[in-house]
Amino acid sequence: MSWGALYFYYKCPKCGKLFKYATDLIPEFGDDFGKCPDCQIMGTFLKEGARTLDDLLYEEVE
Amino acid sequence: MAKKKTIITAAVTGAWPKKENNPNVPMTPSEIADDVYACWKAGAAIAHLHMRDDEGNGTMSTEKFTETWDLIHNRYPDCDIILNLTTSGDIHADDEIRVAHVKKLKPEMASYDCGSMNWLNSGLFINSPKFLEDCGLLFQELNVKPEIEAFDPGMIANAAYYLKKGVLKAPLHFQFCMGCANGIPGSIKNLLFMKETMESLCPGSTWSCFGVGHSAMEILYGAVALGGHIRVGMEDNVMYSKGVLADSNAQFVERAARVIREYGNDVATPAEAREILGLKGR
Repeated sequence: MSWGALYFYYKCPKCGKLFKYATDLIPEFGDDFGKCPDCQIMGTFLKEGARTLDDLLYEEVE
Repeated sequence: MAKKKTIITAAVTGAWPKKENNPNVPMTPSEIADDVYACWKAGAAIAHLHMRDDEGNGTMSTEKFTETWDLIHNRYPDCDIILNLTTSGDIHADDEIRVAHVKKLKPEMASYDCGSMNWLNSGLFINSPKFLEDCGLLFQELNVKPEIEAFDPGMIANAAYYLKKGVLKAPLHFQFCMGCANGIPGSIKNLLFMKETMESLCPGSTWSCFGVGHSAMEILYGAVALGGHIRVGMEDNVMYSKGVLADSNAQFVERAARVIREYGNDVATPAEAREILGLKGR
């Protein structure tokens, strides 16, 4: 059984972009984990989950 | 020298992704049967099967497994794919329900999750010592090859324990499940560690692996390069590449087959996979 990666879902407080980070990349991103890929500021945490039903609305940051 | 054979397992639906995540995820027995056949045509030697209830949630319903099993065999009599049934398709199912379909259908393979873990940081994925002992002995009695799913190196050590105890019988076959929450992250470094841990604790075993999400390609290439086998499909990934939804499960199998052949290996047929895994067929 697998359930895909676990994501943290965010919204950028500056540009409104919706984005997500896979939690297994916390070591790779370090302090940048959760930052908007466009504005480079910390996003507002919205929720966590594996492929929530609106998952496709969020850009995956890799 | 003969080319090495690499086995492709297609995990076509799992218990998690829904049509909202990707409209091409098969949900009904008919859709699952059709996808299994398409994957076999594309080069998959093994199909790892989960079932969904009528609302699309993971279920261990023996009726659903039986319906799908019959559809595959009756609709596609030419298909000799190895069927590998999950025993972990619903974290709320009790131990008896988890193996009821195995007792009835006696598949060539079934999954064996070799330890417990936190599930998505929100629940428990329990594989108790009693369940693992009963399940291992049942599989031996029914001549079902366990696919030992290891989400971290500790589960490989647990398999070695059950091997010594006689609950599992060598040679073992592992599925390294990489990149799942609370499991080992998906990377080449970690894949190598899993492989070496397996070789030291359970020598003579065969192995396959998959990476969920962003680690899918890294693990695919790593599996081929390190001499393992590979699992692909929408149980593990609904995206074909970044920002691109997969068209089908067969699309994943076709890509894996291309990678295997480009590397210089052959894609194992079901008959070759049976030989590699020591299966006698049904």
